[in-house]
Amino acid sequence: MRTRVGLRLLGILVIVLVAVQVALHPVGLSGRVPTIVSPALRINQGLDLRGGSMLVLEGQDTSTVKATPEAVEAAMSVIERRIDQLGVVEPTIQRQGPNRIIIELPGIDDPDRAIRLIGKTALLEFVDTGTQPLPRGARWGADGKTVTLPEAIPQQTTPPGQPGARTLSLAKKVILTGSDLESAQANINQGAGPGELYVVGFKFRGPAAKTFENYTAANVGKHLTIVLDGEVITSPVIRDRITGGSGQISGGFESIEEARDLAVLLRGGALPIPMKLVENRTVGPQLGRDSIEASLRASWIALTAVGLFMTLYYGLPGALAVLALGLYLLFTLAALAALRATLTLPGIAGLVLSVGLAVDANVIIFERMKEELRSGKSLRAAIETGWHRALNAIVDSNVTAVIAAAILFVLGSGPIRGFAVTLSIGVMISMFTAITVTRAFVDAAALIGLGPMLVRVAGRPRS
Amino acid sequence: MTPLWNVIGKRWVGYLLSALLIVPGVVALVVNAGAGQGALNWGVDFTGGNYLQVRPNRAASIGEVRTVVDRFASGRSIIQLSDPDVFIRTRPLTPEERRGLLAGLRQAFGGITVLREDEVGPTIGEELRNAAIFGIVIGLVLQLVYITVRFKSVRYAVAADVALLHDMLVVIGIFALTRKEVNGSFVAVLLTILGYSINDKIVLYDRIRENIALRTREAFDRLVNRSLLESLVRSLNTSVTVALSIAAVYFFGGVTIRDLAFGLTVGVVISTYSSVFTAGALMVDWHLWSERRSGHARQPEPALAAPVLTSPSSASAASGGTAGTSDRVAGGGRRRRSRRR
Repeated sequence: MRTRVGLRLLGILVIVLVAVQVALHPVGLSGRVPTIVSPALRINQGLDLRGGSMLVLEGQDTSTVKATPEAVEAAMSVIERRIDQLGVVEPTIQRQGPNRIIIELPGIDDPDRAIRLIGKTALLEFVDTGTQPLPRGARWGADGKTVTLPEAIPQQTTPPGQPGARTLSLAKKVILTGSDLESAQANINQGAGPGELYVVGFKFRGPAAKTFENYTAANVGKHLTIVLDGEVITSPVIRDRITGGSGQISGGFESIEEARDLAVLLRGGALPIPMKLVENRTVGPQLGRDSIEASLRASWIALTAVGLFMTLYYGLPGALAVLALGLYLLFTLAALAALRATLTLPGIAGLVLSVGLAVDANVIIFERMKEELRSGKSLRAAIETGWHRALNAIVDSNVTAVIAAAILFVLGSGPIRGFAVTLSIGVMISMFTAITVTRAFVDAAALIGLGPMLVRVAGRPRS
Repeated sequence: MTPLWNVIGKRWVGYLLSALLIVPGVVALVVNAGAGQGALNWGVDFTGGNYLQVRPNRAASIGEVRTVVDRFASGRSIIQLSDPDVFIRTRPLTPEERRGLLAGLRQAFGGITVLREDEVGPTIGEELRNAAIFGIVIGLVLQLVYITVRFKSVRYAVAADVALLHDMLVVIGIFALTRKEVNGSFVAVLLTILGYSINDKIVLYDRIRENIALRTREAFDRLVNRSLLESLVRSLNTSVTVALSIAAVYFFGGVTIRDLAFGLTVGVVISTYSSVFTAGALMVDWHLWSERRSGHARQPEPALAAPVLTSPSSASAASGGTAGTSDRVAGGGRRRRSRRR
């Protein structure tokens, strides 16, 4: 008996040490000699805690292209290149279902810019409009045959084609597109007029550069209109043959950022299909910090309240259960770290909830023990039967709780999924701590002569 | 034996209480839906729309905020103030409208800090609604299957599921009555209740199962009552600890998590209630019902004892009694019924 209890305590100690290492990483193992490093909780924080944006984009069918999984896949790699330019640490991009992309941008400063950049189709077209210059903001219809001029861009209340909408019949003859570009960057055009100060310089790749040269040579004096996503940026006159495949887009930018954004888009390439933003959840860094602070405070208060209640109500066994509860929290944090799970704000609530549930198993056991003691059994027998007979109820009730959490995990997204994760991990680990760890503690207490205390408190007569 | 608190004998009280808890909620659901404001106060997660939590640089009044919001977001917007933060809920905005709204707010209040922003497309909301219903149904079915297998009886499973439905109806009703906003976290609340409440029922049913195995000569309703009292302390203690932890989250966990904590607290209280007053009572009534159907022949004699089944008068007689009197009433009920046959 004595050695068995000792072995169990030793086993628990080993698990505790491993858990501390996994969760807090106080010992660096990367070098040849282990080093002591300052411990830090190694758990991924969800966007709702660290701040950041989660965006869901949905591929849209057009008259020419369908939003097939392949097209969405191709769009993903374009978006990936764009995100690289945003300077976000650890962004994630995942496909969801046949036509959606989920993007997570932790700690992003300017979600608006990200949305603008990521969602833009960025199809750049160099269009031959012959002798017809087009003003900035003119739009080509979806069929590519008519242009709506900007003064008349229809308000939401007046459908296009109504009187007042000035349209122009003009076929869109595309010479080259953004995919023919080799590079693009924003520049400042010193000494230019206020509207022309910021420009995007570009360079075509080899064959396209030749096409460009031939075209410009043949069309001197005509207009080459530059169109982005169906909207005219500028419509300059070709003054001379352009060799070398370089050029610049001017007249469309009010700030260097705008020019820089377009350069980013052009370098990343156009999306093969339009993507629409269907969901955006952004948490500012300040709210994230507030949430962490508040939830930590709530956790401590919850733990203290539960600990006090258990100790006051059940005495020594209750106190031992609270000790086991502390280990339970440690193990859960270690499991979250090991599984690289993400801790979200609802996840913390799930953790706190599971603390309450973890206690449940011990309550069941202690109530059983009391009954056995009352029926006149010896302490050892009461411990034995109490645990044994409580086991069925504990297992059944926890399995059903995990079933519910598993459904939540499958259905939920983001923060709610975090709730399901902590709840189910918590429930499973709590079974271990409540059944095995508390048992070892109680056995040990009985061994070192604390038996009378266990009996007295556990067997307190019912009023 | 210590004197019994005859919960099962007076189970009509429990049923009445449940009705009092459920009916107003259901009425509120119907009335709300009839008034065209949605049966529940659906948040943007379900309806689609834009949600903004901002902290203006100077104190703002609801009227001021509304002036700005109405300029960019036509239609019904909801604006709430919780000093120093402003919460704005609108219909789904176009990117231009959204940008305009943010710029307008910045201008009006000398700059704002965006604490949180949710933009949900209408299709996403619809999907969430379907997923929620699907998840709850699947949850109930899986619990049904698991309990049927573990207890080798459909009866426990169905009774537990009915008690679960009861709990969820009460929670939904309370959200309908209070017009609290219903969001994605509400789905988490319902599914957690589903998991937590069943936990409670199983502990009770486990006790019933065990007691049936021990003493077959006891009347079923008395046996259930005894099992209930035996697991009562545990049920209450667990609820106290869980409620303590969740209440801490509600009061100290910050605004963002408050709705989730509120729903969970209500759920914990209700599921404890139904463990005591509903889950066991359902088992007893089912037992009696099936017995009446199959007649006396197959059942052992004492199992027929049932105090309040035949008329309310016998129930009121039972309500005043100790274990001794309710015993007599139970016997009376049996005699009365056998006379009638």
